[in-house]
Parts: sequence; C-alpha cells; structure tokens
Amino acid sequence: MIRWSEEQQELCRAIGEVAAKLGSDHLENDKNGTFDQEGWQKLKDVGLFGLPFDTRHGGLGKDLTTTVHVLEQLGYAGRDSGLNFSVSTHMVSTGVPLQRFGSSALKERYLPEICAGTMIGAHAITEPSGGSDVMGMLTTAVADGDDFVLNGSKAFVSNGSIADLIVVYARTGAPGDVAGITVFLVRRDSPGLSVGNPISKMGLRTSPLAEVFLDNVRVPRDHVIGAKGAGFLILDHVMKWEILCGFGIIVGEMRRRLERCVEYARTRTAFGSAIGSNQSVANMIVEMRIDVDTAQKWIHDTAEKLQSKADVASDIAITKLVVSEANVRSALAAVQVFGGYGYVSEYGVEKDLRDAVGGRIYSGTSEVQRQRLATLMGLNRPVKLS
Amino acid sequence: MTVKHDITAHIIAEYLPGTPVEELDSSYDLLENGVISSLELLRLIAWLSDRYDIPFADLEISPDDFRSVGAIEKVVTRFEGLPAAE
Repeated sequence: MIRWSEEQQELCRAIGEVAAKLGSDHLENDKNGTFDQEGWQKLKDVGLFGLPFDTRHGGLGKDLTTTVHVLEQLGYAGRDSGLNFSVSTHMVSTGVPLQRFGSSALKERYLPEICAGTMIGAHAITEPSGGSDVMGMLTTAVADGDDFVLNGSKAFVSNGSIADLIVVYARTGAPGDVAGITVFLVRRDSPGLSVGNPISKMGLRTSPLAEVFLDNVRVPRDHVIGAKGAGFLILDHVMKWEILCGFGIIVGEMRRRLERCVEYARTRTAFGSAIGSNQSVANMIVEMRIDVDTAQKWIHDTAEKLQSKADVASDIAITKLVVSEANVRSALAAVQVFGGYGYVSEYGVEKDLRDAVGGRIYSGTSEVQRQRLATLMGLNRPVKLS
Repeated sequence: MTVKHDITAHIIAEYLPGTPVEELDSSYDLLENGVISSLELLRLIAWLSDRYDIPFADLEISPDDFRSVGAIEKVVTRFEGLPAAE
C-alpha cells in the first residue's frame, strides 16, 4: 500500500477542488458532443497538464505514482469523463514520448506549451483497416532531403479536432518489421494535414474523436521522436503511461459512482425500507466496492513497479483488463441500483455506462490484452527447439 | 560470465525454460522459430537496455539485431565497445 505524503495529498486536494467545480453542464455537453473549453481552461490554470514533466520545461516534476494518484482525484471530482479522457490523452500522447525520447530542441520548443495546455496534444496510431494491429499500419513516411514525407490516414484520433500537435506513428520499414515504425511530432498547421469532423460515438462524447488525413505532409527530420525505427519501443512506453493515467482516472470515477450508489441505496425507500437493506441490492454495491478497490490496487501496484523499472509487460495487460472490465460492471450495476432513474438521461447514471464501454476497446482491446498475456505465458511458444 | 552466456541464460530462463544451455546455438533464429514474439522482443530489448545501459530508442535498430543470441551479443558488444566472446 502506498503511503501518500502530505505534499501529494495536498496536490490531490487542490486538483479535486478545481475539478469539483467543473462539469455543471456535462449532461448537456454529452448530449451535444461538446468539448468543455472552459473546463480545459480551468485545469490549465491550475497547472494539471505539467504534472509529470520536467520543471525545466514548465512541468511540476512529479513521478508516475503521484501523477496517477492526482489524476485519480480528477476522475473522482470531475463529472465530465470525456474532459478527463481528453486531459489524459493530451498528457500521455505528446508530453510523455517527448519527455522520454525527444531531442533537447524538441523538448525546449514544445514541452512548455504542452505543460501549459496552450497547445493540445493527440496521437494518431490506429488506422481504418488495422484496429489494434499496429504492426499492420499502412501510413508511410519516406525520407526526402531534410524532411520525411507522410502519407496515409488515421482513424479514431482522440482530441483530433482540437489538437495543435499530433504525434503520428508511420511506417519507415517493411510491413511487419518491428523496427519499421517511426514517430513524428506533426503540427496541426502542416500543409497536407487535415482533420475530419468530430465522429459521433456511444460514450465519452465530450472528448472529440476524429480522423486525420496525411497527404504529402512534410515533417522535418528534427521532428522525429527517438530514432528512426524506434516507434514500437516508444509506443510501448506510451501505452504503459496511457493505461495507468487513463485508467487511474477511471478508478476515481468508479469511486464517485460507488459513493452515489451507497447514498442512494441508503435514502431511497421501497416497501417501507431503504433499498440498501435489501440483500440483492446490497450485494451489487458490495461487488462495486470490491471492483473499485481491486482496480485501484492494480493501478497503484503497476505504477510503482514501472517506476522502479521492473518488467510490467504482464501487469499492464492485467491492469487494463481488470479496470476496464470492472468499470463496465460497476456502471451497469449503478444503472440497476438507480432503477428508472438510472435508465433515464437526467441523472447521468446511464452516461457513465456509455462512457465505460470504450475502455474495453481503446488502449488495446480486452481481447488483445488476453492475447498478450497468453503470449507472455508462453502458450504459443514451441516446447522444444526445432 | 561473458555477454553471450548472460544473454543465453536470460533467454532460456524467460523464453525456453527447461532447455539445456548447450542446446541453444548462438545462430538459432529466435524470431523465425517463434521463441520470441514481437511483444516479447520488447521485453527483451527492455532487459538489454537496463542490463547493459543501452538507449535503444535513440538508436537505429533492426529485428536482425535480435534474431539470435549471436546477433544480440554483437549489438551489445558493439555498443559497449567490447570484443565478442569466442
């Protein structure tokens, strides 16, 4: 169990106070698919986006576990899950790879803007034909003088329509080549780059999702993040952060949902007593409690392990599976606990369920995570050398 | 322990448990024979990076660099400036 320092707790309280004031119109924004610019501004003002980044570049210099803990508080206090998702996407898509793999010049130029939130970040990985099959990506980057020329299209780019900087993963080697993917920091205003209209979706509707098209986009060689061909390594690093930060937020959201259900079950009466005194209702809420505690333990444990540079290949897959599946169960149980009030839009309980479903798909589907685990367990490895 | 022995011992422990060390030839193709998948290659690279302090993400690498114990040994010794063990 992590014992949080007074400073860490104070940081959480500060973010929690700001986040609690956001999202008063989150249901209306969800209905219209509107990104909360005002909420973004307030989170920007409190310095949230710079949490894990170097103080030299305008960040707060906090470690991974502190970052995850504070983001969990954002999830707990902030009611707009889409806005929370956009925050996590912004930080992990651009800031995280830049800080770890970017050149000094790139860091000096862009990290202060990312920390301040004056430039919004996104990453473009998934393609229309590939889904989670990153190695099958078709977008190409061809060296030409001092530039690379990028061509292709990317699907499901979170923050796509509001991003100023897009980290694009493109093929510089043969298909299937592990060292065949390179990472580029691409400015939204680059000639040839266009972003489609926001895509309507089931949940997280306040976090804009869009397609990105690259038509002979010239990217200077000095905007390559890491070395040519290092994309798979960079993606691995980014995905670990994405899962821990993004699903850390979800743990906070699950905790808030649990508290709402406890409160409701204690005060809502039926047949002369509080519905929480009914064992079948109580059991659902107890399962929600077990789910959120389990999810939190996995997030904290894996974050600590990663921070200590341990191998978390299996842990990260399990963490993603545990939290995303628990979130859907918890959100569905909440609808049931609230009954008719859970089913109608007015109380936001059904929105939680719609928001939760995406977690089983983005950052590697549940099926891909199980496949990863099977691979890491050696289930498809030869028993003997041939 | 030489770099070659160190790498061989790690690969056997992690990916081929129970295999006698002498059975893993230094030219045996780990990728082609399915011993190491692309996912496990990442784990292997992460281990090499920590073990030998090699910043792989800043280097231009190829899958061929990790195809066999011998290939991996060459990458490590090239980076360390050490001669490959006979």
